[in-house]
Amino acid sequence: MAALPRRIIKETQRLMQEPVPGISAVPSETNARYFHVIVTGPEDSPFEGGLFKLELFLPEDYPMSAPKVRFITKIYHPNIDRLGRICLDILKDKWSPALQIRTVLLSIQALLSAPNPDDPLANDVAELWKVNESEAIRNAKEWTRRYAMDN
Amino acid sequence: MEQFESLLTCCVCLDRFRNPKLLPCQHSFCMEPCMDGLVDYVRRQVKCPECRAEHRIPYQGVQGFPTNVTLQRFLELHAQIAGELPDPTAGQVMERCNVCSEKAYCAPCAHCDKKVCDDCKSAHMEVLRREIARINNQIRRGVNRLQDILSIVERNTTNLQTNCAAVAGEIDEIHKRLSKALKDRTDFLRNEVDRYLATELRNLTHLKDNLELELSNIQSNCDLADKYMNDDVEWEDTELVDTKEIFLKTVEFLRNFDYEAGDYNRRVRFIMTHDPNQLVLHVASYGELNISQPNAYSNSLQPSQGLTRSKSDHRLATQFRQQEEAKGYVENDEPVLGGRKFGERRPPPPERHTREYGTTDDYSGYESEHRPSRRFRSRFVRSHQQDNDSDTEQISRVVKSEHKEKEKEKVTDTEDATRGPLSGIFRLSDCPRVMQRILDVDSVKKKEKKEPPPPPKPVQPTPQPQRRPPTQRQQSEDDEISRLKRQNKGAASSQEPDRPTQRNNEEERNSITRKPPTPAREASSDGESDESVGSLQRTQRKNSTTIPKSTVVTRRPSNTETPSAHRPAARAPSTDSSASTESSGSAVKHTGSERTTPSTTNGTASGAQRVQSRFIGAQRPTPAPAPAEPAHEDTDTSSEEETDSSEESEEEPVTQRKPESQAMARSDIGPLLARSTNARNDALDNKSKETPTQSRYRSRQPSQTEEEPSTRYGASGSSYSRYGSKPKEDEMTSSIDDDTKYPTARSRYLALKERRNRLARSKSSHTGFGVGDDEELDDPVSPTTASPSAYLAARYGSGTGGSELSRSRSSHALKSRESSPERPVSGEKDGAALSSWARYLKNKYGSRGKDRDSGGTSSSTARRLSLGLPLRSANELASSDDDSKNAAGSPISPTAATAAVAGFAAAGSSPRSQYLQKRRLLFSVGSRGSEPGCFTWPRGIAVGPDNTMVVADSSNHRVQVFDMNGIFIKEFGQYGSGEGEFDCLAGVAVNRIGQYIIADRYNHRIQVFDPAGRFLRSFGSQGTGDGKFNYPWGITTDALGFIYVCDKENHRVQVFQSDGTFVGKFGSFGSKLGQLEHPHYIAVSSTNRVLVSDSNNHRIQVFDVNGRVLSSFGEEGSEDGQFKFPRGVAVDDQGYIVSASFLRLTELL
Repeated sequence: MAALPRRIIKETQRLMQEPVPGISAVPSETNARYFHVIVTGPEDSPFEGGLFKLELFLPEDYPMSAPKVRFITKIYHPNIDRLGRICLDILKDKWSPALQIRTVLLSIQALLSAPNPDDPLANDVAELWKVNESEAIRNAKEWTRRYAMDN
Repeated sequence: MEQFESLLTCCVCLDRFRNPKLLPCQHSFCMEPCMDGLVDYVRRQVKCPECRAEHRIPYQGVQGFPTNVTLQRFLELHAQIAGELPDPTAGQVMERCNVCSEKAYCAPCAHCDKKVCDDCKSAHMEVLRREIARINNQIRRGVNRLQDILSIVERNTTNLQTNCAAVAGEIDEIHKRLSKALKDRTDFLRNEVDRYLATELRNLTHLKDNLELELSNIQSNCDLADKYMNDDVEWEDTELVDTKEIFLKTVEFLRNFDYEAGDYNRRVRFIMTHDPNQLVLHVASYGELNISQPNAYSNSLQPSQGLTRSKSDHRLATQFRQQEEAKGYVENDEPVLGGRKFGERRPPPPERHTREYGTTDDYSGYESEHRPSRRFRSRFVRSHQQDNDSDTEQISRVVKSEHKEKEKEKVTDTEDATRGPLSGIFRLSDCPRVMQRILDVDSVKKKEKKEPPPPPKPVQPTPQPQRRPPTQRQQSEDDEISRLKRQNKGAASSQEPDRPTQRNNEEERNSITRKPPTPAREASSDGESDESVGSLQRTQRKNSTTIPKSTVVTRRPSNTETPSAHRPAARAPSTDSSASTESSGSAVKHTGSERTTPSTTNGTASGAQRVQSRFIGAQRPTPAPAPAEPAHEDTDTSSEEETDSSEESEEEPVTQRKPESQAMARSDIGPLLARSTNARNDALDNKSKETPTQSRYRSRQPSQTEEEPSTRYGASGSSYSRYGSKPKEDEMTSSIDDDTKYPTARSRYLALKERRNRLARSKSSHTGFGVGDDEELDDPVSPTTASPSAYLAARYGSGTGGSELSRSRSSHALKSRESSPERPVSGEKDGAALSSWARYLKNKYGSRGKDRDSGGTSSSTARRLSLGLPLRSANELASSDDDSKNAAGSPISPTAATAAVAGFAAAGSSPRSQYLQKRRLLFSVGSRGSEPGCFTWPRGIAVGPDNTMVVADSSNHRVQVFDMNGIFIKEFGQYGSGEGEFDCLAGVAVNRIGQYIIADRYNHRIQVFDPAGRFLRSFGSQGTGDGKFNYPWGITTDALGFIYVCDKENHRVQVFQSDGTFVGKFGSFGSKLGQLEHPHYIAVSSTNRVLVSDSNNHRIQVFDVNGRVLSSFGEEGSEDGQFKFPRGVAVDDQGYIVSASFLRLTELL
């Protein structure tokens, strides 16, 4: 196994030393490229109060390619499917090596604040979100309470 | 400052900018690997990570983007302000790692000899450490072998010491015995001389007085007659008649009285039994040290090869290395190291590297300087130079070594001291590099600081005082290292939990392969691994300490390696004819000349040599008291070897000095084979030459034997008888003068003659002998004056060439028959002086005196005894029927043989005196009867290898065994015709391995018994065909175990293998040469001559082993050299033949 690139080491150190508020990313003990992430639901969003678990994996050619991020906690969100996959441009074609783990996670947090039903991944959720936003938000709150607030 | 810092940080690698390149969007990134990684090669575009602006890549690649000079200035400024160390990778260009193909700052890896990135390098180093650990474990497991060897070596040391002490003791003892024997003999001789002088003086004085009285009487008679025997005085007729009678008597007396001055010319002479020079020579070389072939030793170590071969021999050390190499010491070593050229690696990068490799080169320089053996080095070089063949590599190595030697001078001189002399492995801890490491580790530990230790410099070696158990050390180091790692490197450093062990691995390999202590490691982390080096060093030192101890020197002279197959061959030429004190070369020469020169000359020449060899053999300080054949072989071969050449003689002397049992334990059949075949060949070669001269010799022989006593003994005897009426004492006094002055003259003469003879002998010319002995011919020729051959030459003239065998034997016989002056001195003189030979002998031999009726016969009897029956070895004495007739005291009774045996047990005296001793009856065994120890018609006797006496107690149908003192040991057999039963057995023989071979006469078969007396097998039945018998009598075996049987009623001799297989036969009924009539007994000499007592032809015939008749001697008669139905025949190892006939015992040849 090739050694860990300096950048990953640096990022990890920095995540530990200067954690982003509302976000915690801890590398796995067995794999330094795998992070256990917990993102708090942003205020003024249906996900407020929830603690959402994610997993983040830095691929071999990171930072030249985007990290792989996935929600583990179930979430009712038009851009996040049932498997927890996230539809976020910076995780896809808009990735830039200048981005970091922390920025990616911040972007995800922001995505929770501002769902984008026009670029849906979970079509049913997006549809509801467009047709009946209040009910969708209610659902989201309900899911958050049900899945993200237990512990 | 924080922001300033971030401005200087590349957003891609999050590190300080390195060679920042400015994109048209005004964003800057490191050229490598950041900008490089951004390139979209398909579209030849680069997308700015910051603003996502896409830019075409210039023609020459990302390098074509302008460098952000401003940013670079800032960077430099910041570095100055912050006091940071310059970027270690500054100035370096990124390359593709040759292992992982990633672009990185690559450095050469000593492990794979490629330029690899740090990651791969550290991975490789880890591999190395693991390997070192593994090999180290192997070494630990294997070290006990070295320790075993060490203990073996120690044991061998003590063995060697005890062995040498024992040998020294033996030598001392021999020396004591020799000197004692010498002293005893000297004292004895002196006393004898004194005694002789006294008696002779007394006799002569007496004689003188008597003569004076006589003279005065006669004088007065004459005066009286002149004065008064005239007419003046009245004399009665009777008175005158008486006077006349008296005067007549006086006249008669005067006429008759003849003082035979000659009788008193019997000077006492001191004559050496042996050529004194030779004696001295033999004493001077009375023993040799034989370094026995350490077969066991080398065998025991053979499997373990190399290292274990405890030799400080560089050649062997090289072998070890070759073996090591062949073994493929580290299996996965080769692929990893493949392609790397050891000495060539001169990486440009960091300074530290250079120095490290410099050290590496020191190793190699050291190696090539001290090891001319290319293999050791080549192993390591070759594995990395697959394209090079060893030749070119060797050259390059030479060049390299020259170059490196200089370097070595300044850096490392210390390894030599601890270099293992066997393996060339030196102590790692003495290597400056390693020392430096350890120092660093220690300092780091003390400070507990993160700051890297100062760049390592070659320092003076300082011994590492503490040695902690390596395992514990390693454990603690592990912790320490990981801690340090974390501190020093933080997250940026790769984690290598098992570094120390790997370090071990590495070091180990250093010790063996002179591999550099991983430079890359040094570059990346200065302090972290130093400790492990320290521990390793300690372990290494521990390991290496065992190595020098195993330096043991058990040097075997290479000549002992002479294969036994070769030995007989080398020995063969000298077996029969050499063993003179001259070199074997001359011996061979003699043999050669023997074959080419006319038989007249060669007879004497070879005869002389033979005699000498015998004497040498006998003169050896061998205590072996007549061990049958093996012992005989020993003496014989050893004497040959001794003179032969020193290379072969190493084994025998030791064996010889050992107790006889050991000597007999030797089953050295190889030489024997060679000997016998050689003898056979010789016989064949010589036969044609020998036979013609043989007859001549034979005709001479009887007369010779007769002549001897008559000249010598007869003279002395007659002198006595002549003096019978006279007072002997008077006459004896007259010889005093001669006696006193003679010895010196004599000895001078001896020396002179000897010298001449030696000269002559070396030329193998006979004229020398003739000249030398001319003066002596009137004098009784003494055989001991010089060489027997000289004596023979004098005796028979130079032209008398007999067969060498008979020649030498005759010389012996004559010599002992000769009344040499020594003999009177040695005891008979007393008797002679006292009264007569007969009385003396009677006193001496008691009942046997009856045999002697005249001076001549008595002397011959004495002679007989002297040679006796004596078989000091080899061939068994075949007893004849005379035994029983002659009663216990019979000369061929077991007694005599035992006497001989016992006589030889007293080693230290010369063979001659041994022979003289044999004439004395030592003891007798048995009487008529059937109890154990009693005999009824003992018909056969043999001497076993352990000096037991084996007697065929014929009419008791049993075999009795006695020890050499005549003590009954055992008996076996009873009457019958079954297995192990006898019917009037006759001959008995004991072969080399102690088996009893018995001629079961009336059962017409031969039976073989094991040494314990158990029946083994029998063969033969009545008949006339091959392998059938008609009353087998005498039986004997030769050195090869062939069994010779006198098939009496078939008038032939049959030869069998030891298992009873018929081999051959010879002889047929008749009286011609080679024909036999009732052959009774048989004997085989050490020279493989077969002697058969051809009883009804009243002769002894000599055959070679192939059954060709060589000679025969004897005729019917009662004179010396004549036989009447000779029965027993025996030959001793010196070629004396002893035979017993009904009338007498005759010693012959």
